[in-house]
Amino acid sequence: MLRSPSDTARRLDALLRDLGPRLRRGGRPAEPLPRFPTGISDLDRLLDGGFPRGRLSEITGPLSSGRTSLALCLLAQATRAGEVVAVIDAADAFDPASAEAAGALLDRVLWARAPGWREALRSAERLLEARGFALVLLDLPPADPRASAVPAVWLRLVRAAAGTGTALIVLSAQRMAGSSAELAVELRATRAHFTGTPALLQGLEIEAALVRHSSAPIQRSTRVHLHHSAAA
Amino acid sequence: MRTACLRVSELPLAAELRAHPELADRPFAVASSPGPRAELVAVSAEAARRGVRRLTSVAHARAICGDLRLRIASPALEQAARAALLDAALSFSPRAAPAPRAPGAYAAEAAVHLDASGVTSLFSSERGWATALVARAEQLGLPAAVAVASSRSVAHLAARHLAGGDSLVLPPGSEAAFLAPLPIDLLDPDDALAEALTRFGVRTVRDLLTLPRRALAARLGPSVLQLIARARGEETELALPVPPGERLAEAIDLEFPIDRLEPLAFVLRGLLSRLRDRLEARRLACSDLFLVLELEAGGRDARRIGVAAPTLDLRVLMRQTRHALETHPPTAPVVSAALESQGRPVRTDQLDLFRPAGPHPAVLGRTLAELESLCGSGRIGAPEAADDHRPDAFGLRPFQPGRAAAPGPASDPAAPFRTSLAVRALRPPVPADVSVVRGRPERVRSAIANGEVLCLAGPWRTTGGWWSREERFAYDSFDVQTGDGVVARLRFDYVRKAWHIDAVYD
Repeated sequence: MLRSPSDTARRLDALLRDLGPRLRRGGRPAEPLPRFPTGISDLDRLLDGGFPRGRLSEITGPLSSGRTSLALCLLAQATRAGEVVAVIDAADAFDPASAEAAGALLDRVLWARAPGWREALRSAERLLEARGFALVLLDLPPADPRASAVPAVWLRLVRAAAGTGTALIVLSAQRMAGSSAELAVELRATRAHFTGTPALLQGLEIEAALVRHSSAPIQRSTRVHLHHSAAA
Repeated sequence: MRTACLRVSELPLAAELRAHPELADRPFAVASSPGPRAELVAVSAEAARRGVRRLTSVAHARAICGDLRLRIASPALEQAARAALLDAALSFSPRAAPAPRAPGAYAAEAAVHLDASGVTSLFSSERGWATALVARAEQLGLPAAVAVASSRSVAHLAARHLAGGDSLVLPPGSEAAFLAPLPIDLLDPDDALAEALTRFGVRTVRDLLTLPRRALAARLGPSVLQLIARARGEETELALPVPPGERLAEAIDLEFPIDRLEPLAFVLRGLLSRLRDRLEARRLACSDLFLVLELEAGGRDARRIGVAAPTLDLRVLMRQTRHALETHPPTAPVVSAALESQGRPVRTDQLDLFRPAGPHPAVLGRTLAELESLCGSGRIGAPEAADDHRPDAFGLRPFQPGRAAAPGPASDPAAPFRTSLAVRALRPPVPADVSVVRGRPERVRSAIANGEVLCLAGPWRTTGGWWSREERFAYDSFDVQTGDGVVARLRFDYVRKAWHIDAVYD
């Protein structure tokens, strides 16, 4: 039986809706990007292996959501593998003792204490141009809407990162890079564990949700437990 | 031993053109002092073409050439030009020494004697070496001539015979034939001796050498023997090579006081550019800069401008300098400027064969310098957790990934991976308004965390620095979770009698 044009159009619409983000323009399948694993197996599964190298990713969440712990985890993974990383700290919040406790080798960490978001973005661009850094972590202060109001800035960083093998990860309270980010993870704290007598902070339980992925389904999440090393 | 002489015939002129290359094709002259009666010590080629002559007065020169640009002789510029000439020589020979200053007709020259032995092992010929040396001097802004001979005096005499940009090589044994037809003025006799020789009809070096030495000495005194020795190419003084210093300086006296940043930055850019060229000629990079500004009414502004890593990138050096001036501008108009730098070898770390490739050392050095210019001095480096009981104690070391220790043995893959809970430091600590019941915080109000304290751990007391009023500290710290979900480190400062939040668990 011949189908009417409107029937075909309806079926086509339904098919496109079902395919969703798996539908890609062009005839060639995209080459899989090399990934930067976090070392947390559940999270790496969520991220299809880790954060993509040569791309911009975001880790967002309010205070005590675990974004700093996750970032230091990445630092530890990279430095213990012999790679060199950079932390551009516009928030001036980097704690060397925490990084060391997380297992990072501080000799391989370049800490740039940028006075503002403009200097931080320019520093990121310089480091990407220098090449050789496995990870550039850009920690932006909260509540500065000017940084997110200039999309061209993020495009520049994306172009600078492309082809370098450097994973550029933006750490902030809310999303800044919009569609320039290849991948975005949103964290929130679910529970703080104060146990024992006398009570000690044992750790934080957090939930990580994938809110943006340029080539995979989103709206997936996983839980991670962060252990307070001082309580161990 | 083969020796070369690198010579600039008119140093005051060359020094001015080096600092102000825009005057190259214009009629300009250098005067000994301000005022219309001052004497001209040097004139440019264009001014000479229009009839302006040395040793005439400024007023007379202006009458001849109405658009003559006048510069006052600057000891700072001349000293820098002499140093640049020595740098050019040292970049081509390990032994070089400035020639003694000549009086009389050659008082304006600057010359350097350098050892030219064995240059053919690096260059195809002595001529090729001399040509490259002339080019190097040109790069540093000095139109120099080079002569190579078997003695310093002959090389110097030969160089006096050349114009700027020329080079001459006298093969061994040919010095006598070269010198013979030259006028004895090139030997630089004093005025009395020159007059006496002229009266005797001695005009060329050949004429001088054909006369009996003893008879000449008896008639004219022992000074003629030195003249004859120079004519024969005999060394009369020992060579004392100057050890190459690592601290290079450039300076300039300003025509008029400058009280705005943009024109001052323009002047400093010129100084930086010349300094950078000299460092590059010596295969050194620019480390920390020392800037001295002489101010109107006798004031002085001396400052150190930090450079994170030795670099030759002019853009980075200029940015650092501008940042330093914008942050702390001079308190009065500037009348002269001097810039000095300790040359350092360019970093050439060799990376580990078995580790992933890191940033290239030369690129890393430039990048670190750029980051320091963006973020400020002392804010770039490798972090260090300080061994100190004080909260938030940390240090910053120079970032040198090539020298980082290799990672230890890989951890047991079977061991469960524990993700560590980190803190975000709050610098400075955020003040908090805390309600305390029976010695324990019950409610917190601050810019970071607010609400009832839901969970609490502590207190832990930390004290130290009791031996100093300025350094003493005493805190009681608590880990708290507030009603808005923030888990923070709250502390009571016994010295300041105040509550703060100094970190957030994140």
